[in-house]
Amino acid sequence: MDNKDALYFKKLAKQLMFELNDQEANEMVQEFEEFNHLLTHLASIDTTGVKEMIYPFEEPVTYLREDELIHVITQQEALSNVSNSQQGHFVVPKVVK
Amino acid sequence: MNIIEMLKDGNDQKHVVDAYELALKVQPSINAVVTFIDPCKQLEEVKEGKLKGIPVALKDNVNTKGIKTTASSKILENYIPVYDATIVKKLKDAGAVIIAKTSMDELAMGGTNLSAATGPVYNPYDVTRISGGSSGGSAAVVASGVVPLAIGSDTGDSIRKPASFCGVVGVKPTYGRISRYGIIPYASSLDHVGYFTRNVKDAALALEVLAGYDPMDATSSQREVPEYSKLINSDITGKKVIVFKNVLNHMNNEETLALFQRVIDGLKTKGAIVKEVTFNEELMKAILPTYHVIANCEATANHSNLDGIRFGNKQEGSDTFEIMCNTRSQGLSSSIRKRFVIGSYALFEENQEKYLKQAQRVRRMIVEEISSYLKDADVLIAPASNAAAPKIADVLAKHVEEDLVAENHMVFANFSGYPSMTLPMGYIHQHLPVGVNITANAFKEVDMFSIGSVIEEITGLKDAYKEVK
Repeated sequence: MDNKDALYFKKLAKQLMFELNDQEANEMVQEFEEFNHLLTHLASIDTTGVKEMIYPFEEPVTYLREDELIHVITQQEALSNVSNSQQGHFVVPKVVK
Repeated sequence: MNIIEMLKDGNDQKHVVDAYELALKVQPSINAVVTFIDPCKQLEEVKEGKLKGIPVALKDNVNTKGIKTTASSKILENYIPVYDATIVKKLKDAGAVIIAKTSMDELAMGGTNLSAATGPVYNPYDVTRISGGSSGGSAAVVASGVVPLAIGSDTGDSIRKPASFCGVVGVKPTYGRISRYGIIPYASSLDHVGYFTRNVKDAALALEVLAGYDPMDATSSQREVPEYSKLINSDITGKKVIVFKNVLNHMNNEETLALFQRVIDGLKTKGAIVKEVTFNEELMKAILPTYHVIANCEATANHSNLDGIRFGNKQEGSDTFEIMCNTRSQGLSSSIRKRFVIGSYALFEENQEKYLKQAQRVRRMIVEEISSYLKDADVLIAPASNAAAPKIADVLAKHVEEDLVAENHMVFANFSGYPSMTLPMGYIHQHLPVGVNITANAFKEVDMFSIGSVIEEITGLKDAYKEVK
């Protein structure tokens, strides 16, 4: 893994929809190095011909079921954790001004 | 009292009210609870079932309809679910009464319980020490005698390590055995729902209630649920036990090693065939980095919905982007945001092959390495940790060094999905508990419980708990 500077992590954080302050970004550089060190060992393992393990059990699972309603919430419930809603909609600042 | 004793006694009202009052009483000492749930109304509606009148606690990542569920994160401090997790329904249908939501590491991402928005959970055996995490609050309320059953979740060893530190039984069953519907996720390919009790028989009974197919969880197993508590067999003559030798090689605590040897000698005396196996050391050292990559990648994706728009502790902003950014910056702690950055980096298209896919391949190699021996045996066994719970001050000052293998080997059961359980092995430094960990083959929980029940006889630590002054 390449070395990255604090500015790189600040930009990456922004893409993830949050900020890292100066102190956090500098800590991130240090922690990334530690992580990098751990990954050196991971990278050294020869995995030629090995298939990725995505889930513990890769046996077939049937996702299909009868098309019956088994769980419904009301509109009021769906909006109950929204800080600002009007007429059944989430309210956010105008996008087109 | 344990679950079986409470059921026999039948005084629901007293057990529940006593538990609730004790939870309130010990809270200033152990800080294990996020939300107390007044049980009076539930007591009026207790159903007949295998857990009738049993007071239970839930980790605060279990959605409870109408009851705040924070996952110990500031970003969810005002979140009130509109539905119950499947296990909540199962517990209530079995007659259980929920008295508390317990503290955890923020979003279950940690092993100390120091990152909870409500502050650290203190170990009942020594309140200057950590409870372990991420299910620390649940471990502590069982260890202090508040409830005989508490729900946790386990992505890396988040039930089994705190069980060791707090001297209780901690069970992570087979992947798919207990529904995860309604549990706030961490890393979906590793997440398991499990629980804490104070003895193995209670643990077996609890699984009978919690396990079972759930159409709301696509990873839920359709296999029948056995009556585990009736199938426990303490005759272990001829049972094959593998000792995880790499773990012992990495341990230096003589007291822990001596306690483990006592367990092994006891198992041999009871007729078990015990064999030490040293697995590929390079693969065992890769357990932690493999876990870090997979867990951080999955967590980054899973928690992208925490934006404050539909739920959560929304912060103001001039546009949607700014609202989300402010909400996530202020609602997620520094360590969580940094983990997301690492996970996101490894998820970049240009990095996936090198990091995530490499980790997923190594995961398979680790599982196949251990499984190649375990498939011909009944259980794999090792101390759950080298040392007792560290001091909070030492953890905060980063004075605690963790051995790569000795302190992370239990993650194997998350990679493989195999059932795994920690139970008390004894005490070191005169009063601090350490546990022994047992892992069985997939869906062979009965083997795990049977060996566990014999270990309980060997240690004499059935129903152990610590009274908190």
